This record gives sequence, structure tokens and C-alpha cells, in this order.
Amino acid sequence: MNRYFRELSVLVALVVALLGLAVLAPAFFQPQPLLSLVTREAPTLIVACGMALVIITRQIDISVGSQFSVCSVCAGLLAARGWPLVAVLPVSIGAGALLGAINGVLVAGMRLPSIVVTLATMVTLRQGLNLVRQGEFVNLPDNVQWFGLSQSSGQWTLVVAALVFLVALGLALRHVAVGRWIYAVGTDAEAARLAGLKPQLITFAVFVFLGGLTGLAAIMNLVQSPQIQPMVGAGLELKVIAAVVVGGVAISGGRGNLWGGFVGLLLLTCVSPALTHLHIEAYWEKAIQGAIILLAVVADGIRQKRSKN
Amino acid sequence: MRRWGLRGARNDKIGSLIRVHPCNPWLFYFLMRSSSPQHTGWKAIVFRHETLLAVVLVVEWLLFYHYGTTTNRRGVIVGFGTFDRQFDILRHSCEIGLLALALTPVILTAGIDLSVGSLLGLCAILFGKFWHDAGLSIPIAAVLTLVCGALAGGLNASLITTLRLPPLIVTLGTYSLFRGLAEAITHGAVTYTDFPESFLFIGQERWLGLPTQAWVFIIISGAMWLLVHRMTFGRSFRAIGFSPEGSRYAGLPVERRVALVYTLAGVIAAVAALIYTARLGQAKADAGTGYELFAITAVVLGGTSIFGGRGSITGTLLGVAAIAVLKSGLATLPVVMRMNAAEEMSGLLTGALLLLALTGSVLPKMLSTLRTR
Repeated sequence: MNRYFRELSVLVALVVALLGLAVLAPAFFQPQPLLSLVTREAPTLIVACGMALVIITRQIDISVGSQFSVCSVCAGLLAARGWPLVAVLPVSIGAGALLGAINGVLVAGMRLPSIVVTLATMVTLRQGLNLVRQGEFVNLPDNVQWFGLSQSSGQWTLVVAALVFLVALGLALRHVAVGRWIYAVGTDAEAARLAGLKPQLITFAVFVFLGGLTGLAAIMNLVQSPQIQPMVGAGLELKVIAAVVVGGVAISGGRGNLWGGFVGLLLLTCVSPALTHLHIEAYWEKAIQGAIILLAVVADGIRQKRSKN
Repeated sequence: MRRWGLRGARNDKIGSLIRVHPCNPWLFYFLMRSSSPQHTGWKAIVFRHETLLAVVLVVEWLLFYHYGTTTNRRGVIVGFGTFDRQFDILRHSCEIGLLALALTPVILTAGIDLSVGSLLGLCAILFGKFWHDAGLSIPIAAVLTLVCGALAGGLNASLITTLRLPPLIVTLGTYSLFRGLAEAITHGAVTYTDFPESFLFIGQERWLGLPTQAWVFIIISGAMWLLVHRMTFGRSFRAIGFSPEGSRYAGLPVERRVALVYTLAGVIAAVAALIYTARLGQAKADAGTGYELFAITAVVLGGTSIFGGRGSITGTLLGVAAIAVLKSGLATLPVVMRMNAAEEMSGLLTGALLLLALTGSVLPKMLSTLRTR
């Protein structure tokens, strides 16, 4: 109970928000729109899992949005040329892992602060993509949509796949040695080194892993729409970081888990449709997202201060 | 000079040091500096980061002058080599320059502020709202905007100092919050225009031969230079960035100084917002999007360590100039003009430049540790 206090409090907030919506806007709970909403966020969940790992190692990656765009466009171009999805998937994951490796080398190898490195790669990738594509859309062939399945079975496939992945990774993080290493590095890199781990290598691997997951998420997003626009994924980094931080993963590293990140993501996902159903302008979304991030960190800060006293 | 707490950096001798109170941050800083080996004599001047950057800047300028200047069909010189273009560079670099000036003390204290670009947008909107919707006169609206900037910076400051939260995540939150508020206030569509001529004078006209906003920029950079390099007060920023615990033991009010730095950043972002509005003649919610990257790049390029404790205002100014010349120069190159991609190119190159500057700043250290191993 005490160990999961932070996650449970977010869960309570989510339940309260859902109950409030049930009273004020029952239209929110129609099954089909709800399924579409969850499907749309399935790729975000995958990226959020990777981001949680990066933040647990006391790093951050704000270039995931740009990585996502680059992977989407690459995968989209290949799919448009008639490549089967089975072949596109590894290419997309590989491209993402490569981009993650660039960040990883700069952060782990050269010991540069991750926030500035990924700020630079974020803009470089985004502008590079704009330069090459000039804002052009990629039209996808029909057989790519929903893996060639019907819409609802495609949606279920994505949601179930994302959830299975979440559970597997969440359990691995707690019960597999590699998962414990990640916490060890985030808690105290020097102590981890003295204990015989290689903190820089683990940090590097986590960045590559996040990149690969971003590539995977790009494919999961690809199958949902008939065309890929180059600005896809803009703002993804903020959403993912917000979800993870709201879910109780400490930005100072070594604390938090995927379950919290999952609940945090659900909470943030509810914001935008809830605004529509409550007849509030959609322009408030960004402000509310920012306020939720601040609220989460302030709550953490107050709790930490109190426990210190 | 002494009465103001102003003091020359290099001319001071140990003798005058002894008379200073031991808790004096300036003494602390001096001891900190003298503990690390430094170049002396001519090497100290030639191998300083600022000198190298100045050389790079001159080379960059000459390259653009050579490749970016052309004569059009009527035989008139157009492109980079014209006086108008040089004034344009000044005009366009003021906002990013101000943000970079605001970020220098922040980064010196080993912090970061990602929210300045969003705050610029929010302040521009608030100014438009004060003037247009509330019907206030321009000076009152401007003062209110500055107050709002200070309050927004104070929000960052209070969260960072009272709760000891990491600046990165706090300003990431306010980055989203400020931009979101700007969008919410304008419903994403409203643009404030029709500002009076007297206000647009700041952004579009010249005064005493220079673009008007350049004067504002010069005054603020002079003030910042005095603060950071010549006042004991401002020199403590570097001590704090170098070692916050050590500064606390040396008797510095670390929290108060850090709070001041973030509040100051908010005020300067508000000034930048006013200049931005005056230059474009309109206040939009997307004002200053992505400016934080350019500002951070300018600061890091200028030799300020992202880990805090080291850096200078002069370096930041040179960094701003390098980026401004790059941005403006690219737009005049025939290749880029043909591709119609000046915006993308400058963003791409700025990002790459930041990466280069970062790796360049740690490479010597890495090599030396490898050699000793």
C-alpha cells in the first residue's frame, strides 16, 4: 500500500475524473468512440514506456516527437512503395534505434546533459525532415490500414498488443536483473559503477531502446490513418513526459514504475475529449497539460520535503 | 566604484582581498578560480573562448558577404552586403538576444529555463489584451506586461527554490502552461493589430542611426554585463553554479539569488515580447515559438558551461551575433533561396551548431582523461 501510494493517488484522481464525466457528460462513455480514443493513444503508451525507463535512469529525451515523425515518414515511404508491413516494421524500429543511439552516444559517451542534447536533436531532426519533405504528405496503400484487417479487429489488435507489452515490460522492470540495473543507475550511478555495473552502457542502451520503441509506435500509428503528414508526432514528447511524471516517475531518477505512467497517460488522455464533452474550448488543452505537470511535481516536492522533516 | 560593489576582476591583489569579509562571495569566487590552472599572458587572450568565437564570427560574416551579395538586373547591390541587411540582422536578433541574455545567469547557476519562448508569446498576448481589450494606454499596458513577466518568472522561481524541484521539469511544465494560456486567451485565432505609430517606432524605425530596439538591447546587455561581471552580487551566480553547497557554506543566500535569476528572466522575456510585438506590429499566440532553442544555443555557443559556474555575457553576445548572422546570411544565399528553405536550414544548422558546440566543449577534457589513463 505504502509502496504504491503515489500510483494509487493518481488512480484515485483518474476515477474521480471519470465519475465526474459520467455525471456531467455521459456521452463520453460510448464504446466505439472510447475504443477509437484508446487506440489512438496506444502508440503513445509504447513511447511512454520507453520514456519511463529513460527518466528512471535520470535522463530525459525530448526528441521523441521528431524521432517519431522521421520513423513515420520513412516507414510511410517504404509502405507506399509496396513493401509489406513485416518488412517495414524492422526498418522503422532500426531507424528509431539509430536515432536513439545518436542521443545515447552524446549523453552516455560524452556525458553531456541529456536535456540540451535532445533539444538539439529534436530541432535538427524536425527541420531536417521539413527540409527534405517540404511538408508533403505520404499517401499509404489501402492494404496497410489496420494490417489489412477490419477496423474493429485492427483496433483491438493494437490495444491488446500495447497492453501486453506494458505488462511484460512492467514485470521485467521489477523482476529481471536488467530492470533492476536501470533503477540502480538512476538512483546512484557512482554506486552502481562500484557495484560492478556499467552505468554509461546502460544509459546508452536505454536511449536506444526508447528509439526502437518510438519506431514501433510509428508503425502502430501508421496503420491507423490513410496518410502520414510530416508534423505527426509534434508535441508527443511533452505528452509522454507529462504522463510519466504525473504517474509518479521521479525526474530525479530511480523512482517510479510503468503502472503509474500508464494511469498518468489515461488521465491526460481524458483531458481533450472531456473538454469537448464539457463544451470547453480545445485551446485550453496545452495549458491544462502544463498545469497537471506542475501539480504533479509540486505534489512530489511537498511530499519529499515533508518526509525529510 | 567600491561604493556600488563594483570591482575590476583582474587588477585585484591579494592584499586588498584580506580586507574583505571572509564570507564575501567575491573572495569565494576568487579562491575557486585560483584553484584551477589557467593560461597566462598572451595565451590567455588568444585561447579564450570569446576570441575564437569572434574569429569564427568574422569568417562567417566574410563568407556570407562573399557568397550572399549579388547585383540584380538594374545593377543595384542586393543581398547580404547591404546596410539594410545589416540593420535587419540587428533588428531580428534583438528578441533572441534578450532571451539569451536572460538565460545566461540562469545557466550560470546550473539551471535552465525552457519557458522563455512561451512566456514571450504569453506576454505579447497580454500586452495586446491590456491595450486593445482593456483600453489602457501603451505605457501602462507595457508596465503591466512587465509585471506579468515578473510574476510568471516568479512562479518558476518559487517552485524551483521553495520546493527544491528540478528547474528542467518545472520550466517544461510552464513551457506548456504559458503557451497554452496564450492560446486559450486568444482562442487560437485572435491577433491584436493596429498598434499606434508611436509604439511601432520601437520595432520598425531607427533612432540615432540604429534600429530603436538595438538601443534597448545595448542598454540591457550593458546592465547584464555589469551585473554578472562587475558586481559581487552577480558574480555569486557563478559560485552558485559551481557549487551550490559550497556557496551555502560561504554564506550566500543561494535560494534568493536563484529566485532572482528566474524572475529576471521573466521580466526580460516580457521586454522581448514588447519588442517582438512592435517589430511585427501584431501580437499572436505563437509568438516566439522555438526561440528558447536559439537562445540556449547562443548561450552554449558563447562558452557558458551548461553545467553552470563558467561563462560570460560577452560570449553570449558573440553567440547571438553568430546565430543571427547565420540565420540572416542563409536567407541570402542563392542556393537556399532557390530551395525556399531558409527557415528549415537555419533551424537545422542551429541545432547542429549546438551539438558541435557541446561536443567541442567536452572533447578536450575527454581526450586529456584518456591520455592520463
